[in-house]
Amino acid sequence: MVEEAASTARRPTRPGRRRGTLRGLMPHARPFLWRHRRVLLRLGAWSLMESAQTFLVGICLARALDQGFLVGQPTVGLAWLAVAAVSILLAGPVLRGVFGQLSGLVEPLRDGLVRRAVREALRRAVADPARAAGAERAAVSRLTQQTEIARDSFAGLVLTVRSFLFTAVGALVGMLTLAPELLLVVVPPMLLGLLLFLLTLAPMAAAQGRFLDADEVFTNRAGGLRGQLRDLVACGATGTAADRTGGLIDEAAASTRSLARWTAVRTLALGTAGQLPVLLLLAATPWLRDQGVTTGALMGALAYLVQSLLPALQAMMTAVGAAGSRLVVVLDRFVSAEADGTDTGEPRETESGDQGAFASPVPGTAPAVWCRGLRVSYGAGTRPLVEDFGLSVEAGERIAIVGPSGIGKSTLAHVLSGLHTPDEGSVRLAGEPIAGRSPRELARMRVLLPQEGYVFAGSVRENLAQLEPGAGDDRLSRAVSALRLGPLVDRLGGLGADVDPGALSAGERQALCLGRAYVSPAPLLILDESTCHLDPAAEAHAENVLANRPGTTLFVIAHRLSSALRADRILVLDGTGTAFGTHESLLRDSPLYRDLTGHWNASG
Amino acid sequence: MVSTRPPDGTTDESVARSADALLVRVTRASAGRTAGILLCAAAAAAASLALPAMLGRTLDLLLESHPDAGRALAVTVALTAAEVALGAAVALLSGTVGARSTAWLRLRTVRRLLAAAPRDVSRFSPGDVATRLSVHATEAGAAPAGAAQIIAAVLAPVGALVALFVIDPWTGLAFVLGLPALGLLLRSFARHSSDSVSRYQRVQSLLATRLTDALGGARSIAAAGTVDEERARVLLPLGELGTEGRRMWSVHGSAMARSGVLMPLLITAVLAVGGFGLADGRISVGDLLAVSRYAALAAGLGSVAGPLGALVRGRTAARRVNALLTVPPLTHGRAELPPDGPGALELRGVGVAIDGAWVLRGVDLCVPGGQTVAVVGRSGSGKSTLGAVAGRLTDPDEGEVRLDGVPLGTVAADVLRREVGYAFERPHLQGATVGDAIASGAETAPAESVRAAARAAGADDFVRALPLGYATPLEEAPFSGGELQRLGLARAFAHAGRLMILDDATSSLDTATERRVDRALAHEVRAGTRVVIAHRLSTAARADLVVWLEGGRVRAVRTHAELWRDPGYRAVFGHGDTSGARGDR
Repeated sequence: MVEEAASTARRPTRPGRRRGTLRGLMPHARPFLWRHRRVLLRLGAWSLMESAQTFLVGICLARALDQGFLVGQPTVGLAWLAVAAVSILLAGPVLRGVFGQLSGLVEPLRDGLVRRAVREALRRAVADPARAAGAERAAVSRLTQQTEIARDSFAGLVLTVRSFLFTAVGALVGMLTLAPELLLVVVPPMLLGLLLFLLTLAPMAAAQGRFLDADEVFTNRAGGLRGQLRDLVACGATGTAADRTGGLIDEAAASTRSLARWTAVRTLALGTAGQLPVLLLLAATPWLRDQGVTTGALMGALAYLVQSLLPALQAMMTAVGAAGSRLVVVLDRFVSAEADGTDTGEPRETESGDQGAFASPVPGTAPAVWCRGLRVSYGAGTRPLVEDFGLSVEAGERIAIVGPSGIGKSTLAHVLSGLHTPDEGSVRLAGEPIAGRSPRELARMRVLLPQEGYVFAGSVRENLAQLEPGAGDDRLSRAVSALRLGPLVDRLGGLGADVDPGALSAGERQALCLGRAYVSPAPLLILDESTCHLDPAAEAHAENVLANRPGTTLFVIAHRLSSALRADRILVLDGTGTAFGTHESLLRDSPLYRDLTGHWNASG
Repeated sequence: MVSTRPPDGTTDESVARSADALLVRVTRASAGRTAGILLCAAAAAAASLALPAMLGRTLDLLLESHPDAGRALAVTVALTAAEVALGAAVALLSGTVGARSTAWLRLRTVRRLLAAAPRDVSRFSPGDVATRLSVHATEAGAAPAGAAQIIAAVLAPVGALVALFVIDPWTGLAFVLGLPALGLLLRSFARHSSDSVSRYQRVQSLLATRLTDALGGARSIAAAGTVDEERARVLLPLGELGTEGRRMWSVHGSAMARSGVLMPLLITAVLAVGGFGLADGRISVGDLLAVSRYAALAAGLGSVAGPLGALVRGRTAARRVNALLTVPPLTHGRAELPPDGPGALELRGVGVAIDGAWVLRGVDLCVPGGQTVAVVGRSGSGKSTLGAVAGRLTDPDEGEVRLDGVPLGTVAADVLRREVGYAFERPHLQGATVGDAIASGAETAPAESVRAAARAAGADDFVRALPLGYATPLEEAPFSGGELQRLGLARAFAHAGRLMILDDATSSLDTATERRVDRALAHEVRAGTRVVIAHRLSTAARADLVVWLEGGRVRAVRTHAELWRDPGYRAVFGHGDTSGARGDR
């Protein structure tokens, strides 16, 4: 939740747009309902049976009184009430039928939301992997909590609105059957109450929206306070933080009070819609009697009002007031998250021309990695991580990249892999420019193994062959034996066995990913601290095996200094200044390299 | 052993008692309004109890065309209006009291959180704190209003049952006997599939796990270009989720069918018994109307679950909130520091324990004012903890820390934070803009010192390159680790006092910037004592003195040159190759 606020805050705010508007959802709602029109029809059919049941309860009571209890024939009365009881008992199966259809409407909604949530989360994560971990909680919350809120609220709304409508039909038809005059008395106050309720709907939704907003802002702030506490205390800024948070607490309280006011107004509207018809019916009793309305009919009408309509009305008003607002807010989030995505998902304008690229150099003579005039930054207007950077690495070379944490080593690896577009300059792998290539093409040119070894829920074979789906078992077995993965694969149950990623240690995951890199057809391997969970000996072995893979150029972002010592050449990143050379030459020329490797003259 | 928790509040019983006492205090803070809820709810219950009888009587009088009918109708109207209005009042007051109580709890908890030593709240994750302050404070805040409604919630159904017996004992008997009998009858129809919910949740968490895995491997997926395959893989359990979901609805439908049938059947049974009374002339039509409504009211005993549940949840939630409220505050004295003191730092027998284990023990250290001391050691040797006690981010569990001869615990809070500054490896910035973030502190720094500090920390260039420069909103500026460190340094420089503690605060800087920061510390920033925690060799080499920590104890305090002869010291810097190392420069 906290992370979510951070990510929403990062998005540009659109002041003109109030969240939770029904109008924005209509384009999505209509096709959904149209697709499920059969389910809606069946739901209506089952609900009609509910109308019939409502109808019978009032009619039976009226007949029981008029033809039974009031004329001294209690057995007839009892018989009529027995009919009512049977119709009530039949409501059980009817309600089960309703729920059966309800799931046909609600589950597809949830499926659609889950698909959207997963698609969006993956799209965002792949577009900006650096922030993927931070957005994880928001994505999981959207996938689980928010889809569940939508599912429950939608079901509640459909159930209660439908129930009110069909109960009303049954009750009104019942009164029409008993005595049409009853409708004259009952319908106008009911409509008045409903109108009052409808009038409270918009301000109620606004109050709900304000409440949810205030609560979310405060919740994020509360989580943020905990994260910032060390800095707040150290800076002596706890006082201002307390004041600012106090303001949010006040706003949350004010929004709750405003919600309480509207709840009270809703209670009044409900009272009007539910109780006014009863009172009017009482007041009109002398007139109704004059019109020939029987005592039983009067009691039947009262039963319709009090036993059927009032509970249905109350349930609907509560559901629309609370679940309705929640549903609109949550659905709106799904919709606007996608809208935001399309705004920012545009690929960045790429590359100052690289026309020479089309004249493809003779294979084997082109450098494995070549770049020139690179300017790399996190985004427009930010300071470059490297500027006017060039590099040429021969096929078969082994390169280490070193530098302080956070200096941009991973970003450079992304640029060389074609995952991050440089502001200026161009990159060629084996003579081929990488700009504008699809992820699939890039995957056949190079492998980038990040620190977190990604093993997915699937078989060992699928995992090893991810980058070369057609690879045969002999090829996989060669990788397994070369990288000494045999014991691990055996323990997992062989190539065909399913892997549970959560049951593997970080080191085991990295080991499987190294096997995946070995199997890949790409000639360039870039290891971004992807052996950091292995012990030094295993790391050295893995690096050596991968470096000796036929035709392989290996880049290692060094986690340990030993990786640098094994490399042919070392690239030292030191702000926009970089140094590239052998261990010995760097010890001579790069103060940072001396510093990082601990070669420091004590007396100097 | 060391106890890191306060001695009280350790047993379950005392935790519960302390949380209940908290609820009592919350209730007292809105005593008048809570009493209002109690009165309104009781009056509403009374009105709803009187109403069926009045309704029945009015109907009888109207049917007889009795002259008193008009007056009875007026009373009925008044009672109905009162019930509705009182119900609205209860809703309004409950919401208001809930809002007040929640705000009361939140305000106190936030203040306590901000007064605590950061180390003492480290066991609460940010998400945990957020949940306690939002959801749990709301639930605890709803407890007083819930408690005030319990009496009324019991009053109405019990009164209705009594009324049934008064009007016609047979109907009362029919109700009392019918309720359990019908319940049993219907229970036998119910299908027992209570595990459908847990199966649904299991599939759901399987989906969530797959998504989390995939997000964790976002870079791998991006590099491999397999987004579509991953999406299909994550969504694989969706079909099963739908199956379990449908099963859940069917189970839910059965339960609803059962409870939905119970009430109307019971009322019908009571009406049948009442019908015989009517035929016998024991009761009137109006009585029959009253009986049917009393039966419905009496069946509402279940509604007491609402306020009762609110109270129970509120008590549990109050414990969770109280856990934050009972974090011991970092109390401050009122002492001043000697004016123009050099910032001499002294640690005497300092020990710090976390979860019963000593992370720092027996540390004696004297840093003369104005000197720079480097703290080195392998990770886990207690470097950051030493930095934290030296500037009183935490109190030592034993021993004492003095600044210019004054024990830190006695120094006034504003004096302490003005004179002692920190910069961290991963600073958390706060404020609306980048400029605000640097200026934020015990005293807000003026714009020109913000600029000067940013220049000194090597941050001025990239801040000015931002779209709005120093006025750029903090959220809209993507900073690298190194840039963030420089902003953290600038914040410390803008408020420099007599002691500054740099906790790995230059680890992501390039060499040129680090040198610049170093020069600035020597010449531009206010002179004072510096405690520098670092992994880099050059930092130790430049310091006046090096404190070498090992396993939470001071191994040596000497100059770097003296220590360098020790192979163990060289090993701290990952320097395995000792032979070819020297004389490189």
